Amino acid sequence: MRTPLSLTAVALLAALPFVLSAGLLNASIQMLIAALFACAYSLLAGRAGMLSFGHAAYFGVGAFATVHAMNALGGSGLLPTPLLPLVGAVAGLAFGLVAGWFATQRSGTAFAMITLAIAELLHALAPQLKGWFGGESGVSSMRMPAWGLDFGSTTQVYYLTLAWVLISLAAMYFHSRTPLGRLTLALRENAHRLRFLGYDMHGLGVSAFALSAMFSGIAGGLQVISNESANYAVFDAGVSASVVLNCFIGGVGSFLGPALGAALMTFFGYSVSDQTQVWLLYQGTLFVLVMMFMPDGLTGLATATASLVRRHGLTAVLPLGMLWVVAALLLTSGAVFVIEMLQRLCSQDYRALALMSPTAPPVALFGRSWAPAVLSIWIVPAGLLAAGGLVAGCALRRLRGLAQKADQDAPAPVVPLAEQVSP
Amino acid sequence: MDWLAFSLLNGIIYGLLLFMVSAGLTLIFGMMGVLNFAHASFYMLGAYFAYSLQGIVGFVPALVGATLLAGLVGAGVERWFLRRVHRYGHAHELLLTFGLSFVIAETIKLFFGNYPVDYRIPRSLDVSAFMLGNQQYPAYRLLMGVVALVMFGLIYLLLTRTRVGIVVRSAIYKPRMVEALGHNVQRVFMGVFGVGAALAGLAGAVAGAFYTTSPNMALEVGVMVFVVVVVGGLGSLGGAMLASLLIGVLTSLAVGVDHSAADLLAFVGARGWAESVGGLLTLKLSSLAATLPFALMLLILLLRPSGLMGDKD
Repeated sequence: MRTPLSLTAVALLAALPFVLSAGLLNASIQMLIAALFACAYSLLAGRAGMLSFGHAAYFGVGAFATVHAMNALGGSGLLPTPLLPLVGAVAGLAFGLVAGWFATQRSGTAFAMITLAIAELLHALAPQLKGWFGGESGVSSMRMPAWGLDFGSTTQVYYLTLAWVLISLAAMYFHSRTPLGRLTLALRENAHRLRFLGYDMHGLGVSAFALSAMFSGIAGGLQVISNESANYAVFDAGVSASVVLNCFIGGVGSFLGPALGAALMTFFGYSVSDQTQVWLLYQGTLFVLVMMFMPDGLTGLATATASLVRRHGLTAVLPLGMLWVVAALLLTSGAVFVIEMLQRLCSQDYRALALMSPTAPPVALFGRSWAPAVLSIWIVPAGLLAAGGLVAGCALRRLRGLAQKADQDAPAPVVPLAEQVSP
Repeated sequence: MDWLAFSLLNGIIYGLLLFMVSAGLTLIFGMMGVLNFAHASFYMLGAYFAYSLQGIVGFVPALVGATLLAGLVGAGVERWFLRRVHRYGHAHELLLTFGLSFVIAETIKLFFGNYPVDYRIPRSLDVSAFMLGNQQYPAYRLLMGVVALVMFGLIYLLLTRTRVGIVVRSAIYKPRMVEALGHNVQRVFMGVFGVGAALAGLAGAVAGAFYTTSPNMALEVGVMVFVVVVVGGLGSLGGAMLASLLIGVLTSLAVGVDHSAADLLAFVGARGWAESVGGLLTLKLSSLAATLPFALMLLILLLRPSGLMGDKD
């Protein structure tokens, strides 16, 4: 990490409570937690190259351990409120050791299936064990004052979360610099060679797994401190899915990519949740698009753009970038129009309404009403999509032309796009 | 003993159903090395396609239509999605299919809402086959088992007795060589992917009418199917059959057992202790039925990491 840049970022994050409203600050807490969770996940999936599809288990175990510690200790004694995420960390680590010992028996696909099964096992078991997981209603608790702080305001919770997230990120960054961290990377890159060199593969796998689970547990603990409750819904497959999506949308090639992806996705999820009911569809579609066209994620896209600028100069790349932005905007608005229209047309209310009236009733969308039966309505999204496709095609041609010109000028090596994340 | 026969029969039929879904999955895995996360989504798509078609063309044509449509979607996924990312490696393909399963589930929610739809078997098929003790056994359940068995027989014959089967099997074994001999391996992959998806779609269309058809069905069955292929051994058809039946019978029997670990401990006089501990020890086996397959999987991994009939990897 470049020190001045990261210091500026920390200063900006620390200044947020002075400029944001309480609602946005709450969203920021969620963003920070999601970012930490995604980074913890990336330690395993990106760095060690082991895809886990059940990371909600470690998040949830951390959350429930924290909520029980909160209730049992009342924020006093050895573990005052600010230190409670430690409980989440220990629980995550312990559970991660056990689960990791099982899961890392196998690699690749079977590993992914085992992690999924462990998470589903917990998800199926949790509602039955009312004593531990509180059944449907979950377990709730109260933040107790400690160290002269009452933790009554969102601002204090925000600073607590921020501190824990920064400490955890720093620890993970430190881990990536240690020999253990380098070996974890080697586990992804060339496991065979590592074995020939005499390293304990299973032990290395378990260490990466357990550390990732530990940081996930911290994220779970922070979530509990922020919400003052935990419910077995944290074991839901959706939680595991969203961390995978966030992490790879951000890009696992860089250290902060997953964190940025998670923060971005959580922010969008928060800001559009009033306007659309199908946010998850957009998130999933974005993930599929990223997987197909930008295997390095959004940060990979930024890196590729930067290297294009370096090679061809800003003047050559800028119009190209503008074209891509225009194309993306056109395509997105066309797709959003179609999806939102369909969502309203297929909703239960609308169907009931349509059954009663002889003609298709109008649909309210984007501040005006549209008559879905009129064909010309659909010209709007069709036009948007077609225009977007045209601009995208044009931009693609220009990009190819640029690459060709560069090849003629100087046979430079091709930008290694697929090199970073080929797992 | 009626109860036992009843549960066994239910378990076997549920196992056959699981096998129908997992057969395609394990076949695709054996051939392309990709575990298709979206495979259970084809199961769900089959059910929803059949539900939508049922009102228009009737039940049996709807089953056929749903099977074909699911197969087409599967072939499309292979052609336009998986093939594109093949060069980035297996993990990337796994992630892509994961994303697709997410998108398919959300799309279904978009069109049909996030609740079960009213997809039922037609009245003419809703009859009892025979009496078992004093309970009627639904004929439709038997029909599901028969469909699965017939499909298994057809696939088996196709793979072992026809020219196409030879090409497919050799493409699984040595794709490069088959390509060098002038066969279009890409098309074989697409075909197998499509057939696997169609099988899952048929299973969904048949089972969706009997169980519930909801946007969650892909996840519920999907997780179980993954357990099946891991327990059976990745890429092994026989293993998938064995594991499906095992898990089907196990869960079906467990649902009917009204005892807990505390009852077992009572034999050694430790009932009081078990009840004071509570938690897992006092839970009835019936409420643990959903977790048993996972426990079985962990056990298998401990004892035989490559699965019941898998090769050593």
